[in-house]
Amino acid sequence: MVVANEPIITMRDLRMRFGEKFVLNGIDLEVHPGQIIGYIGPNGAGKSTTVKIMLGLVEGYTGEVRILGARPQDGGVEYKKRIGYVPETAEMYDTLTAKEYLTFIGELYGLSEDSAERKARLLMEQFGLKDVFNVRIATFSKGMKQKVLLISSLLHNPDILFLDEPLSGLDANSVMVVKEILARLAAQGKTIFYSSHIMDVVEKISHRIILLDGGRIVADGSFEELKGQGREGSLEQVFNQLTGFDRHQEIADQFVAIVQEV
Amino acid sequence: MNEMRLLKFLDGFRGLFERFGVDYPVMRRILQIKLTMDGRRVPTIIGKARKKADRAGHKLYDGQEAEKNQFFSSLWLYLIFGALSSMFVALGDNFIFQMSLVFGILMFMVMTSLISDFSSVLLDIRDRHILFSKPVTPRTIGMAKTLHIFIYMFCLTGALGVVPFAVGLYRHGVVFALLFVAELIWMDLLIVVFTALMYLAVLKFFDGERLKDLINYVQIGLTIGLALGYQLLFRLFEFVDLQAAIQPRWWQFLVPPVWFGAPYEVLIHGDSNRVLLVLSLLALFVPVAAILVYIRVMPSLEKYLQKLADPGTRKKEGAGKAVKTISRLLCASAKEQVFFRFAWTMMGNEREFKLKVYPSLGFSLIFPLIFLFAMGEGRGFAGLPGTSKYLFIYFCALLVPSVLIMLRYSGSYKAAWVYRVLPLGEDVVPIYRGTLIAAIVRLVLPVYVLEAALFTVLFGWRILPDLIVAGLAILVYSVLCFGYLSKALPFSERFETAQQSDGLRTIPLMLLLGGMALVHYAATLLSFGVYIYAALLLAANWVLWQRGFAVKTRG
Repeated sequence: MVVANEPIITMRDLRMRFGEKFVLNGIDLEVHPGQIIGYIGPNGAGKSTTVKIMLGLVEGYTGEVRILGARPQDGGVEYKKRIGYVPETAEMYDTLTAKEYLTFIGELYGLSEDSAERKARLLMEQFGLKDVFNVRIATFSKGMKQKVLLISSLLHNPDILFLDEPLSGLDANSVMVVKEILARLAAQGKTIFYSSHIMDVVEKISHRIILLDGGRIVADGSFEELKGQGREGSLEQVFNQLTGFDRHQEIADQFVAIVQEV
Repeated sequence: MNEMRLLKFLDGFRGLFERFGVDYPVMRRILQIKLTMDGRRVPTIIGKARKKADRAGHKLYDGQEAEKNQFFSSLWLYLIFGALSSMFVALGDNFIFQMSLVFGILMFMVMTSLISDFSSVLLDIRDRHILFSKPVTPRTIGMAKTLHIFIYMFCLTGALGVVPFAVGLYRHGVVFALLFVAELIWMDLLIVVFTALMYLAVLKFFDGERLKDLINYVQIGLTIGLALGYQLLFRLFEFVDLQAAIQPRWWQFLVPPVWFGAPYEVLIHGDSNRVLLVLSLLALFVPVAAILVYIRVMPSLEKYLQKLADPGTRKKEGAGKAVKTISRLLCASAKEQVFFRFAWTMMGNEREFKLKVYPSLGFSLIFPLIFLFAMGEGRGFAGLPGTSKYLFIYFCALLVPSVLIMLRYSGSYKAAWVYRVLPLGEDVVPIYRGTLIAAIVRLVLPVYVLEAALFTVLFGWRILPDLIVAGLAILVYSVLCFGYLSKALPFSERFETAQQSDGLRTIPLMLLLGGMALVHYAATLLSFGVYIYAALLLAANWVLWQRGFAVKTRG
């Protein structure tokens, strides 16, 4: 149903402001299916806002946004059936059990209760959480909660995934599993928007990296392309250069000096 | 189960919901989940077990403990208030007067408890990420939330209305009773819509913090209003001429309870006075119009809810200095000062703490006054000087036990790990003493000063020594309360573990307070008795504030 050449997300001159402050200053972006997009930038660069706009959670922007052929400001909700979302604030109804929560979310996405529950159970098993399927989420560790969130974003087999720090709290083995899962989903033609502050991971898994700073896209391309523009080293270093940050040593010196004062 | 029956009942109205553009099965599912969550309260056992046992080792299976909805066990209180107001139904047949009064009471009760108890439902910001990112229309979500509130509203109204209904049926017949039921439903509609629109307005023009403040103030207003309202109502009996005919005044059109009083005259007495007809039409159509507006604007309420998550503007830093100075004056050690300031800021910022404590703050403010009025024996304020009624000032210390009980709870109770990580040593005395001093200065002292000032005006300067003695007694009382109540580090447990039985535990403390007031009274009968009592209290304070805190913590 998705033609590979057709962009699945388009943004033209997207601008958004809260009060006096512009959070997005004209974003132009086209995304084609089958890519893992590392969506990075300093805190407050506008990453979450872009994602929220695409999900229809934030209104009042100017410019053109098209996602899966729909325009979020039109108020239609059908397109959300093909989107999975792991928000940065890992909010869940945590007085529910994993089974109840996942079944509920699956049903909201239009699955039947039985198939939502069956799928949730199988996926929980794969993550090694079979025993806690009927346990309340409030008692879960951070990593367990993160796994539940990941499952809840995948139950309905979406075409686009928005993941905000999806690996947070996961142990090293689970991180490997999730990275593999993401690679396979992308290979099947799914689009993954991957926001994170952990540059090593973004560097390794992304096909394309978009760097946001001050509400603008300051770099867009594969890791090699980003490096190739006369820059060197890791994504972390590229990030520092592009966001114009070179004071880390200076700040560290001062910080330690203050620590030693006492 | 109960909720299943409720949902089955709703199924009957499926067509109506769908006509409003609501996705019924999804709405039903959201409602069901919300009701399930309401029934869950993490029981005390977990809070305790979690400290010792590793979290992973302690699993809580669904259905393992009784799921009890706190709300339903407090309904009997509303039943009593309803029964009280039913007296006005029985009174006579000046309906416009009686029923306006009854609806005034009912509307006040429902509205205030809606604001103080169900705001969390209306203002749940988790919904934003969880529900709105899913393919569900805002209208469906809005309707689910609205119904969620209505379910509680109807239970509440049912409890309030059942006695007046029975009385009305017996006294005034079937038409009256049916009209009463219909009007109650209409009243609920009006109240929910009005409250939501009010929130919308506040959120639109101010930030989320302001709205939460507003909720706090409403709670204080509720307690004071209730206590005062019933005093006034009983007084009304004495001078109200029930035969008085209604004098149409323009402002009556602005008072919703009067709208609801009018249809009784029109339908039962067959009065076709134009004013009454207009009022009746208002009662019929305003709620309907309100609900239509509400359905339209509910989605934008959701949009503004985002503001609740915003941190809001901070106070200026100047306030910190005053607190620092006070803490230096009142606290012995540096450690104590630290915990004074910590408790001070926590009490000011901790939303849930305020929500739980402010109602008793309201009571403490109003109780001494109520007793003054109730025992005024009709002579008014002029009769007060020369009596011992200023001793009612002791009632403002009713606040102390409830504050002390709540001090150990916090919404961010998990942050209590700092107590265990910091090198605080074995000596917990400064922690407790600093916190208690902060609580007294911040919450009890203002109430006491306010009452004392008022009492001085009412009774004259002569009672000043007695007021000071009462103040000393309250200080002693505070330490005694602390010693009696079970201890836990301040702000270290979650609110959900707060138990109903905490309330019962304060009863002996109230008796103690009464006892202290009686001793004071006895002292006033002796010459220089008050001064002897003062000296004793000073000594008691001296000893208690030094030794009274040497206790071991549980766990």
